[in-house]
Amino acid sequence: MKADGRTRAKTFGAAAALGTGGPTLALTAVVLVLFVGSLAIGPVKLSPLAVAEALAGQGSETARIIVQEIRLPRAILSVAIGGVLGLSGAALQGLLRNPLASPALFGAPQAAAFGAVLAISLGLVNVLSFALPIAAILGAFLSVFVLLAVAGRNANLLLLILAGLALSSLAGAGTSLAMNLAPNPFAVLEISFWLLGSLEDRSFRHVALALPFIVVGATLLMAQRQKFRVLALGEETAQSLGVDVERLRLLVVVGVALGVGGAVAVAGTIGFIGLVAPHLMRPLVGWDPAKLMVPSALAGAGLLTAADIAVRLIPAATDVKVGVLTAIIGVPFFLWLIVRERRALGGGVS
Amino acid sequence: MVRHLVAVLLTLLIVAPAHAAGPKRIASLNLCTDQLLMALADPEQIVGLSPYARDADRSFMAEEAKKFRLLSGTAEDVLMLEPDLVVAGRFARRATRMLLKGSGLPVAEFDIARSIAEAKADISRMGELVGHPERAAAANGRIDAALARARAAATGHARTVLAVSRRGWVPGGQTLTNDLLNAAGLVNIAPKLGFRTGGFASLETIVAARPDDILVAGGGDTPEDQGQAFLLHPALTRLYPPARRIVMPERLTVCGGPMLADALDRLAAAAGRLPP
Repeated sequence: MKADGRTRAKTFGAAAALGTGGPTLALTAVVLVLFVGSLAIGPVKLSPLAVAEALAGQGSETARIIVQEIRLPRAILSVAIGGVLGLSGAALQGLLRNPLASPALFGAPQAAAFGAVLAISLGLVNVLSFALPIAAILGAFLSVFVLLAVAGRNANLLLLILAGLALSSLAGAGTSLAMNLAPNPFAVLEISFWLLGSLEDRSFRHVALALPFIVVGATLLMAQRQKFRVLALGEETAQSLGVDVERLRLLVVVGVALGVGGAVAVAGTIGFIGLVAPHLMRPLVGWDPAKLMVPSALAGAGLLTAADIAVRLIPAATDVKVGVLTAIIGVPFFLWLIVRERRALGGGVS
Repeated sequence: MVRHLVAVLLTLLIVAPAHAAGPKRIASLNLCTDQLLMALADPEQIVGLSPYARDADRSFMAEEAKKFRLLSGTAEDVLMLEPDLVVAGRFARRATRMLLKGSGLPVAEFDIARSIAEAKADISRMGELVGHPERAAAANGRIDAALARARAAATGHARTVLAVSRRGWVPGGQTLTNDLLNAAGLVNIAPKLGFRTGGFASLETIVAARPDDILVAGGGDTPEDQGQAFLLHPALTRLYPPARRIVMPERLTVCGGPMLADALDRLAAAAGRLPP
């Protein structure tokens, strides 16, 4: 029975995959363009030629260091982090059959930041050790796990959002408290880093720190995508088609925690990419949760890279944090979604 | 010229204490006034220091400070102490200073020293306030001697330097650090990069400007937070291995005081190396 359900799901998948080729290709091209743009833009003006030379290992040493050691890791991180956030959003929305689900609304990045900050302020780790992403992953896992436990099986919208708000506020307060209590005279600055998120001046050490976890998390989430489609038919139907819903839930939580935790450990909390990306993609690829995954990841990667380019172009005395920009775009979007959902649910709109 | 005027004005502003002994009980609210007080006053005169006085990274006389009581830095415990004089910085804790003044306590405020001359003026002023101008003159004499040594050591070919703190903070042209670097015959490139009082320089800017050396506060290699991780970015560590980093602990440059003599000697040693 189980095997039968899987085969059936796979057949569905093969048929559905045909429809998403166009948008996926176009999105890949957009992400590539943004990636190259991210290499070309920065406080030091470099001509496109100089950037190309530097990438190939030619040109002046200064340009090589700037492009290869400062801009390249930043571009890789923005694509990877944006991608895994978009994917996490699509996966959570698929799991809960609820378009308002996303890591940020569940407090996952905030909890991951709390985990990381706690590990640092207890003096357990420094910011370039592997223990940091692990602490962040534990924080993210805990928050999503608790949220799903609180919200229960047939997650009601209001319940999810309220529980998520409570969790993220708690985690944010915990982060501030842990930094304040740590013997760090720069606590206020550091808190802003953890709560606002930034990709400024990262290095390949940061990439090495985050990427393994992000890749494993993303792989885990991608592997579940056929099950989301079956799940869309309802939990009982999915169960009868051989989907172990409890196991699926756990795998998704682990996948999201790995991706978000790895991301937060090097970039701080970056919100709303996971919410916005799947929504942008739905009109393009339809409502099939399995088809939504890859485009959502690409949209997330594109959004975060674009935002990270934008913070470098905004003329400001000190750097604008990329997390600020994603929130400024994301929160109004979220409000609009709430209004729309209210209508869809017939929740008392006259 | 302006600096001299400032120094003269500051000295004139001091109401010369009638009695040579000075006030009996003095409390300090600021890390920098802590340093001046410990260096110039008699231990019996000091009734309390600021919360950071024992911070070994920032307080030059951290060891000495263990002998004294630490204050919370707020008005309450200062009021309870009823000191004869409160010394404080001009910029922080404005509300606290207002409250203390309002309750009739004499509060002497010190500006942040932006040059060696201003620091020397502060030393003289504190010397007068505590009733030991001879100690202030001796401390200033040591700074002058260190200045002379630094000038003598400076080679013809000046090394370019950028002082870089956590997260890429760079002190600009109108700072004590800048004055110290110049006095030691080093060229601070921060003014050329457009930093007047200070600001954050991106990693790219530093790499592109490529000073001969960078001046850092510590030689540590474990980043406790993201701000410190900046100084350990591979781009910086490769261009600036330990041999190209002038290590200047914060406790030597964060305040203007007698410790500037040590700071100058350190810089003079670094400036004596020939540029590659």
